[in-house]
Amino acid sequence: MTSRLSRKQRPNARIRGVGTSDTKRAGPTRWVQLELQAFLEAAVDALILIDVHGHIEVVNAAGLRMFGYEESELVGQKVNILMPEPDRSRHDGYLSRYLTTGEQRIIGTGREVRARRKDGSVFEAELAVGRIPQVDPPRFVGFIRDITARKQAEEGLRRSEAQLRTAQELANLGNYVVNFRGDESDYWSPELFRILGRDPAEGTISLDDYCATLVHAADRDRVRQAFHDLDAGLRSFDLEYRIVRADGSQRYLHHITQAVRDEQNRIVRHVGTMHDITDRRRAEDELRQMQDRLTHFNRLSTMGEMAAGIAHEINQPLTAIATYAQASQRLLAIGTLPREDLLAALEQIAKQALRAGEVIRRLRSFVKNREVRREPVEVNRLLEDLSLLAETDARHHNVRIRIEGIEPASVVQADPVQIQQVILNLVRNSIDAMIDVPEERREILLRARPTEDGDVEIMVQDRGSGFAVGSEDALFTPFFTTKAGGTGLGLAISRSIVRAHGGKLWQANNPDGGARFFFTLPELRGMQVDPGDSESRG
Amino acid sequence: MIMRHGHAQPVHRPTVFVVDDDAAVRDSLKMLLKSVGQLVETFGSAQEFLDAYKEDRPGCLVLDIRMPGMSGLELQEKLNERHAIIPVIFITGHGDVPMAVEAMQAGAVDFIQKPFRDQDLLDRINQALEKDAANRAALAERGAIAKRLATLTPREREVMALVVRGKANKVIAGDLNLSQRTVEIHRARVMEKMQASSLAHLVRMVLEVEKS
Repeated sequence: MTSRLSRKQRPNARIRGVGTSDTKRAGPTRWVQLELQAFLEAAVDALILIDVHGHIEVVNAAGLRMFGYEESELVGQKVNILMPEPDRSRHDGYLSRYLTTGEQRIIGTGREVRARRKDGSVFEAELAVGRIPQVDPPRFVGFIRDITARKQAEEGLRRSEAQLRTAQELANLGNYVVNFRGDESDYWSPELFRILGRDPAEGTISLDDYCATLVHAADRDRVRQAFHDLDAGLRSFDLEYRIVRADGSQRYLHHITQAVRDEQNRIVRHVGTMHDITDRRRAEDELRQMQDRLTHFNRLSTMGEMAAGIAHEINQPLTAIATYAQASQRLLAIGTLPREDLLAALEQIAKQALRAGEVIRRLRSFVKNREVRREPVEVNRLLEDLSLLAETDARHHNVRIRIEGIEPASVVQADPVQIQQVILNLVRNSIDAMIDVPEERREILLRARPTEDGDVEIMVQDRGSGFAVGSEDALFTPFFTTKAGGTGLGLAISRSIVRAHGGKLWQANNPDGGARFFFTLPELRGMQVDPGDSESRG
Repeated sequence: MIMRHGHAQPVHRPTVFVVDDDAAVRDSLKMLLKSVGQLVETFGSAQEFLDAYKEDRPGCLVLDIRMPGMSGLELQEKLNERHAIIPVIFITGHGDVPMAVEAMQAGAVDFIQKPFRDQDLLDRINQALEKDAANRAALAERGAIAKRLATLTPREREVMALVVRGKANKVIAGDLNLSQRTVEIHRARVMEKMQASSLAHLVRMVLEVEKS
């Protein structure tokens, strides 16, 4: 061990306390020397002692390891052998500047430098230099720590932070942490600031302020409720809603938050992500509009063709009737119509009138004879499935759908597809009726409850414009419509479907403004449906 | 009764041809048209009519636009291919307006929507028959002129061509390297053969045949 320690072999060198040559000395000093030796040898950092000209006097084992030299190769050499350029050429200058001006550049402070091994390779190091007191000329001691690993870790961290930032930018995804204990401040990722249209210099804002200033007024209650649910014990929420940035622009967010709790179940922090899905929503909206137009067009063209077909079928006998009658009139007027010809014409007229009636009868039976498949259907399941079906349409028009299921759960005998068509038709009507209503009021209530007769009554309630007094009866008349582009068949068909199920369909105005449509379905008593088995899903 | 004379002369009484797949419509139309003294022939399909019809028969065609098999529009197309000049009145139903527009573009004279007032149909038929008569008269006139033209000698045709372009006899004589006297004789022959009462009349007749 001691062989590793060395001392500069120059005549004027005054080595105090350290050095193999001093082992002859007895008493406490020797103990100090031994202790110092032990310190030096045990140190992980390199330790180098230099004289006033920069010559190395002592270097410890860690130093030799770090720089790859033998002790004999270093002791007596100038210390700049351990430095790469430009420090290597400048080191003498550093020393003499210190000696003449007393200006301390490095002494007493640590600094990151580059160091050079014997093989020429360079590494990052942390250097601390101290001047040994009360010796003249001055001597210096340097501690050198190889920080390559730390630098690499730092660089790695910096890189992964940059990558995360880029990923968030690309994904339009920001994340945040809200701390509920005073010991840590909240964190928003840079991308979150960008998504929310907030200058990072302005800092984060509280959840209350977020709800009050950024969340769209029509969505505010929903978002507040979600945070409230977290407070009340829910683990997480997953919401889509709109925000309005300070500059007035509106964005759609997909917001997911989790509450982190301590052992006492108190919330420690919220960890959440906000995904700006405006572009996706716009694309969805465009697609939806396109589908709407297409559906509408299909419906119109089918209706148009059907109407032309019906018109032709009925116009034929009508034309014959009118023409026979008019020809008979003419001939009677000029007195040249033989009795047999008149009888033949009248017979034709009667026959053609009956023929027209037959066309209409055929048409009705065609509509009526569609096959109906009945099966036990759980009412609450029906409503839930329906809200899924109607959700896109509702969301598109910023309409909320609320469901009040029936208690206790009831089962009806029905064709689920047809009944869903009825409810969907009523929901669509409700959505259309609320287009001009302020967004906060746009709510549809789907409610199922038992009637006094033991049937199930389903209600679709909106808060739209309702009906003008007197127009109620016309609602169910085929081809009657108040909607631009409507076919006027929805309610007529819905009513015939409900009737075919043994129920009835009627409407009333909502006392709070808007319309209510009711229909009943006979309950199937004593029947249970295994939820997993029902075919009503979909 | 249809009177046939065997020649393409406008001596036929015009006939209303009715083509409709619906027997009752057909029959009632026949009754109506007969009540006003009109000659009527009815056909149950477009093909039946095509097989029976000769282009020299004057009259008009009352045609249902919607028929199984060959539609009214297809029949109109076939008649156009045959250069038949018979005017067509389409009977259309509700919602057939686009088809009616197409028919009008293809040369139909008119269309009427079912069911109709008898007088409306009769008025349209009368207009169509007048148009047919005028067309046929013009056609007959052109035929007569063509026949007269055919009697001219090549030299007379040459002279006539220059005369109708307004050239004086002296100029024509120079152009054709004839004596002025010879030109005068040819010119008189042309006027006589063409049964022209004046130079203006001759010009009109030449223009008429050039049109066709």
